[in-house]
Formats: sequence, structure tokens, C-alpha cells
Amino acid sequence: MKKRFNPIKDKSSEIIEYLMSSPDMPDDEMLRFKLRLSIEEAVVNVVQYAYEGGIGWLEAGTSLDEDKLILSIELRDAGTPFNPLEKEDPDLTLDADQRQIGGLGIFLCKKMMDSISYRYENGNNVLTMTKKIQ
Amino acid sequence: MDTIITNEGTKTMVKLKGRLDTTNADQFQHDIQPLMECKDPDIDVDCCDMEYTSSQGLRLFLTLQKSVMSHGGKLVLRNMKPQVKEVFDITGFSNIITIV
Repeated sequence: MKKRFNPIKDKSSEIIEYLMSSPDMPDDEMLRFKLRLSIEEAVVNVVQYAYEGGIGWLEAGTSLDEDKLILSIELRDAGTPFNPLEKEDPDLTLDADQRQIGGLGIFLCKKMMDSISYRYENGNNVLTMTKKIQ
Repeated sequence: MDTIITNEGTKTMVKLKGRLDTTNADQFQHDIQPLMECKDPDIDVDCCDMEYTSSQGLRLFLTLQKSVMSHGGKLVLRNMKPQVKEVFDITGFSNIITIV
């Protein structure tokens, strides 16, 4: 299932809840925790940074492979071209004084999901995250 | 998320309840503002009812930790649920914030 949200300003929770209520989502609480966290980080990135003033659309969808083993979450927007995977991972060895506030969101997605990929296609940013759910 | 702050002698006790996410991070920041103004902070945070935190929440814990350190104080988070602890572990926050 997928849905286009427009405009997306202040709509992060609505988009997150839409994806979390998908019939493709697993029931397992631990898996749902990881999926919610990844979805929140990815959605908030688009809502806060993709469009100037938050005026623009985001298409959010889920799907399962034919064996119903692998869940895919896809986010598509027409905002500023931005590949979040190019962002350097935070340095986890620094102490509190030196740690930067920020840069953690996409890092958490990478750790919580099995795969995360980005492509720029027909003027759209497309982020796809997958997780084995059985 | 609910943030309940009480004082016990020189200690400040904080109880967190619910999900700390993008919808309420601003509120949480507002709620913990008094903790950043303590002169000699000794803060004990009970996380047993904290269900979830996203990076927005982590940022605020880091801000609080930095503030407490700059005041020469102490911050301890306790009773964290395993899935929440995992978020602190993965991001290296377990190394910079005391979690018991």
C-alpha cells in the first residue's frame, strides 16, 4: 500500500502512523520497535529538510516480497536531491564533550534495518529500507 | 511522554513515561530545562516506563549530559527497557551517559 501526503509540514506523526498501521507490518513488538524508529528517522528527515518551508509531498509505502519474508518501506519526495547515505557515520568513540548533537537519525536506520538504499529517479529522491520479518 | 520531576534532599528524581519522539521532543526539552539550570545537579532518571526514544530524544539526553558535566554534577539513567537500551548502545551513548 502507498499514499501521497501533501503538504507534509507538521505531518510526521500522521505519515509514521500510516506506515505502522500497514497490513504488511509484523506483529512482533521488538521488530515493530526497530521499524518505527527507522521510519520515524527517515520520515522526519524528509519532512524537516526536503522542501523549503515544508511545502511539498511525500509518498510513503510498504510492500512484502512474494514469500512474505521481507518488508520494504519506500519513501519518495520531489525535494532537494539528497542522498542521506553519503552522510558520514557519527564517531562513536568521542566523549560527551566532543560528540556532535545530530547525525544520528540515518545511522540508526542503517543499524535497525537489514538494508537501506537511495536513488534519484525522475526528479525524485527515493529511499528504500528492507527488513526480514520472519 | 510524561516527565515528572521531584526533589529528594539534594537529589533530583525524574520519572519518564511513554514515548519520546518527534511529536513531543520540544515538550521534553521544555520539561527538562530546569535540570539544566541546577547549580550542583545530582539527577537520577527512572526510565522503567520509557517505551521508546528516537534520535531527537537522544540529542536531548546528550544536551542534558553536557550541561550536567559543565556544572560538575551527576546524571544517572536507570531501569531502561532492553530495546531502549539498545538505541543508547548502538549510538555509543551508553559510553558517555551513565546507565545502570
